[in-house]
Amino acid sequence: MWKVCRYTLLDLLRNRSAVGYTVLLLLITTGLFMLEADNTKALITLSQVVLAITPLLTLVFTIIWFYGQYEFTVLLAVQPLRRSAITQAQYVAVTGALLLAFWLGVGLPLLAWAPGATSLTLLAAGSLLTTICCALGLWIAVCQRDRAKAVGIGLAVWVLLVLVWDALLLWLMYSFSDRPIEPLIVPLAALNPIDLARMMVMFRIDLAALLGYTGAVYQDFFGSPGGTLAALSALLAWTLLPLWRAVRGFQRKDL
Amino acid sequence: MRTLLLLLVTPLVLTVEAATHVVRNGASLAAAIARCAENDTVLLKSGTYAEGTITIARPMVLRGEGWPVIDGGGRGEVILVKASNVTISGVEVRGTRVSDMNDNAAIKCSDGTNITLRNNRVIGCFFGIYLSGVEHALVSHNRVIGDAAVQENRRANGIHLWKCSDIRIEHNTVMHHRDGIYLEFVTDSQVANDSSAFNLRYGLHFMFSHRDSYTHNVFHDNGAGVAVMFTREVTMTDNRFLHNKGTSAYGLLLKEINDAVIERNTFVDNTVGLLVDGCNRALVKDNTYTGNGWGVKLYANSSATFKGNTFGGNTFDLATNGDLLLSTLNGNSWDRYRGYDLDHDGLGDVPHRPLSVFGLVTERMPYAMVLSRSLMVNLLDQAERVVPTMTPAGLEDTAPLMRPPEKANLTVMRVLGCEGENGQARTEAGAVRRPCYASTSTVFTVHTRTLFRLYLFVNCIAFFTCALSNG
Repeated sequence: MWKVCRYTLLDLLRNRSAVGYTVLLLLITTGLFMLEADNTKALITLSQVVLAITPLLTLVFTIIWFYGQYEFTVLLAVQPLRRSAITQAQYVAVTGALLLAFWLGVGLPLLAWAPGATSLTLLAAGSLLTTICCALGLWIAVCQRDRAKAVGIGLAVWVLLVLVWDALLLWLMYSFSDRPIEPLIVPLAALNPIDLARMMVMFRIDLAALLGYTGAVYQDFFGSPGGTLAALSALLAWTLLPLWRAVRGFQRKDL
Repeated sequence: MRTLLLLLVTPLVLTVEAATHVVRNGASLAAAIARCAENDTVLLKSGTYAEGTITIARPMVLRGEGWPVIDGGGRGEVILVKASNVTISGVEVRGTRVSDMNDNAAIKCSDGTNITLRNNRVIGCFFGIYLSGVEHALVSHNRVIGDAAVQENRRANGIHLWKCSDIRIEHNTVMHHRDGIYLEFVTDSQVANDSSAFNLRYGLHFMFSHRDSYTHNVFHDNGAGVAVMFTREVTMTDNRFLHNKGTSAYGLLLKEINDAVIERNTFVDNTVGLLVDGCNRALVKDNTYTGNGWGVKLYANSSATFKGNTFGGNTFDLATNGDLLLSTLNGNSWDRYRGYDLDHDGLGDVPHRPLSVFGLVTERMPYAMVLSRSLMVNLLDQAERVVPTMTPAGLEDTAPLMRPPEKANLTVMRVLGCEGENGQARTEAGAVRRPCYASTSTVFTVHTRTLFRLYLFVNCIAFFTCALSNG
């Protein structure tokens, strides 16, 4: 497994799209910090970009890469290797490559310009989103024979997580605003990994406002050990579940 | 002028022979005070004087040297002044009794004039400095430090004034009390260069205190910030309101304040920077709001004029609670402003609408804050900015500054009336700045707006369907 992983990773490091992704992130981050005099404002904009773009590009990249890799994967599958090992190795490789890209593109400039708790939280959130979206992308790619369809599903998932989920939440809040829906909102939002990552970051940036109203709700969730545990297990579940499905899917797949 | 004063004062000095009574450690302070004639001086040498309540009943000077400690021993008040023309300086006061019945204070003055309390220390007391019914007093350079470990119901106010007039409270430091500085029925007074911090309730709290001014003070990390109520003609300039965070914490809360001038203040990192509730004719000018949850909460029952303020890095710049609009915004600087300035006069050609839909939503459903800065919420805000449907259309800055005021062109400020009083020029500038699409948007009926939004939404769906099918 590790051998496969190593060669895949080395191959990925020479992948033009992966390098492009790194450069894009680097450009966005440095550009923001250079254009914006106020580091906090740059950090806010950057967090929005990271929370929206990282999942999208990671999903799409993983899916397209899987299909590009398909013949090599078939070649691997005829070797005396367990299929689950192949998928796991591919997951580790693609996640490693994209994490490296993220840290180079966002992490380095961030630590150079604005080292601090907010930056670290943003990096952690971005990394978690990368691992999760790689797993999701792999799952989608493994289950679909058609590349275009897989990319379409990936985009749909992204839209669902970024836009539709929040819209539904807002609708829910409006519809049930007369009822004690408050305790439900944070757990519901936390079911969505992008929302969870966003809340982690916003807990740092908008602290003053958050303390005004939902301080109690937020603090209950993020401040208590139980809440942190729940958040971490939600994120872990979002990584492991798609990965497990991807491994199972590949095991049963008719190549 | 000075010679005139000297001429006036010299005969007084000649006629009254003020004696100085030196009290050393071990001797009785109360006995020395009892021995005093009018206008004598008691010079208190360093040491501890624990004699229960010390009462000063005639004009005199009590001066400490080497920080003598006057300890009340927890029996009630510590120094009780019941006379006019009293000066107390250089002493350290401790040991008031905590009481639910009496307002026991370290230094309490009642019904006198010409009181000077300068350069004292009040440590771990219930009430610190307490003036009641006093006229013409100076309270300066005192350090009033409470006990940080004590519960709220065992604490009282640091500097407490009741029914006073013509008081100057300057260069004091108040910490760890209930309210830092508390004024009720205190008129024609100045509070300047004070620092009030880490108090459980308000850093500054005043009610019914007309014609007072508050300048160059710092209020930070107080439980609920600063709250001022039911007062006319207040001037608050060059103060700093910092780090007042919590469920109902405000940098500055104005309630039922009429004809106030709020100028050149700085609000940083508060849950709500400035809350304006039920205030009439407030002039809010050249203030800076940075990194607050809400920069300004302007309730619909208030009429205020906002000029030359700078908003940056707040979660919400402005929030309100209704459609009624009595306030005007003109020539403020907003970091969220995305307009342009084609004629290069330093003013944006498109008005800025500081209210966000999301702000309105959280006003109704506070827990919606979990969606803060979500992409969906940003899109909603953008759509609202283009086609306002939910936010009151009139609440807009008609001539927003392109740059923060310190960098903005001075002629611009003059046009806006920020420098000098040129109201007409201001309205003219405002009228010119009105852009075409904002005025057409008022022609839109709510119906067409809804349709337009639906159209936008369908467009979005179509875009993503295309993305899906082409993949």
